Amino acid sequence: MTVWRITSRMMNPTHERLLIGGGTLAVFLLAWELCADSGLVDPLFISSPSRVARAGNALIADPDFWNDVRVSASEFIFGYFAAALIGIPLGLVMGWSRRLSYILSPFVDTLNAVPRVTLLPLLIIWFGIGIWSKVAVVFLGAVIPIVISAFSGVKTNEARFLTMAKSFSASRVKIFGSIILPGTVPFIFTGLKYAAGRALLGVVVGELYAATAGVGHMIAEAGNTFQTDTLFFGVFIFTATGLIVVALLDRLERRFERWRPNAGATA
Amino acid sequence: MKARMPSVRLYLTHERALLGIIAVVLFLILWEGFARGWWADVLRPLLGPEAARFQLKPIFISSPTRIARAAYRMFVVTGEIWKDLGWSSLELALGLTLALVIGIPLGLAAGWYRRFSYAVGPFLAALNATPQVAFLPLLVLWLGTGLATRVLIIVLLAVLPIAISALGAVRTADARLIRVAKSFSAGDWLLFRSIVLPSAVPFLLTGVRLAIGRGMIGIVVGEIYGSAAGIGMMINQAGSRFETDKVFVGVLTIATAGVILVELIRSIEHRVEVWRPPVGT
Repeated sequence: MTVWRITSRMMNPTHERLLIGGGTLAVFLLAWELCADSGLVDPLFISSPSRVARAGNALIADPDFWNDVRVSASEFIFGYFAAALIGIPLGLVMGWSRRLSYILSPFVDTLNAVPRVTLLPLLIIWFGIGIWSKVAVVFLGAVIPIVISAFSGVKTNEARFLTMAKSFSASRVKIFGSIILPGTVPFIFTGLKYAAGRALLGVVVGELYAATAGVGHMIAEAGNTFQTDTLFFGVFIFTATGLIVVALLDRLERRFERWRPNAGATA
Repeated sequence: MKARMPSVRLYLTHERALLGIIAVVLFLILWEGFARGWWADVLRPLLGPEAARFQLKPIFISSPTRIARAAYRMFVVTGEIWKDLGWSSLELALGLTLALVIGIPLGLAAGWYRRFSYAVGPFLAALNATPQVAFLPLLVLWLGTGLATRVLIIVLLAVLPIAISALGAVRTADARLIRVAKSFSAGDWLLFRSIVLPSAVPFLLTGVRLAIGRGMIGIVVGEIYGSAAGIGMMINQAGSRFETDKVFVGVLTIATAGVILVELIRSIEHRVEVWRPPVGT
């Protein structure tokens, strides 16, 4: 007890978090490895960390694997960037022009209510089972959250600033550039982060559904042929991608946020 | 204020609804016209044979009237869709219930005990970053393509929003109330039951609302692999047979079901919110 008290006094919360989190993770991996190695559970079903690592090592040397990665990455990048490129301006314009928002919001709301992955069978009829049906589903998955967040960003602009700018007779363009746009940045980033998850979901579902290449396709194939190690490695790649994309967007967001004074509780 | 003509005033008061309706109607007419070749007929004198491009095959885009007819047939005449709806509803109900049973205690515990949250943090973060549907082939490997797999994929998708909202609920419980209760020497359990849990309800409902959306994805994705019945299966099958109108009926059915469920939760949220004074956090 005294030992515990001493050590806990030495640790600040950050250390404690790392220690406990890392410890649990290590215990989990160890238990997983032991379960498989001792034959308690057939490794065919659960694989094990060392087997996954070995499978990963083998895959990295395999050109087919890199082709899968390239296909999935292009689907993600094309779909996601197109969504950002179209979604951000669309959301901003909808927020800026009341009439346009009246016209477009029925469509945005409908698409928002539809789980976009249900459109896959249609997208495959339209674009085939190649990369473009996946780009389309990634785009549709990502564009709606981006539009909605940019739109609500404009809508929640600080009224004080607007009133002041107007009373100094600032032009609409000036108001848009110096008040509306900077004010929506946090919202846009929230949307972009959420959309990244949606985009990744689109890649996976699209490739599970019908594809000829891609990491999702690799996972499906590995599942069908009981290559559990490869399957886990594929899932791990998606996890890593998700973590990296969100971390990148966080960093980008902080950079855009730097100019902002730390005032108000509008987080 | 200038006096306006009554018709203009009428327009201005209902501008939102009117513009929305006009846009939707125009869109539907445009769509119907592509399927029926109206636009090709109109443009033929201008473009000659090129105009045929403006007629699209119904197997590609279907049309509003075809979709309506297919919906009528599937819901009323043959009633074939009800069986699919029943199966999918069962999956969703089981999946969401399990997600609640797992997610709420997990989130509450992680919010209440700091060390526990450190321990489960890495796992939750990893699961959150992964598109959970990537686990589907693994579930199929473990459990086959039966109901269990389809329920579990819904659980995987829905459990995180619920757990995260439960965690957030505990973290944002009013510190003043907790301090007061503590200074009257309330035990952990009493504190939890009488302060944390009631203030958590609105958050939990928000989590459930998000979880429903995830669950809808789960229904469709879970039925990709050899399911016997269900809306997702119906959509997939219709898609592979190029029965585009049936695909649209399925998609719209899922969307409608989702909207109804979400609105249901919203109305409960409003009711629960009523007793709470609007305090700023």
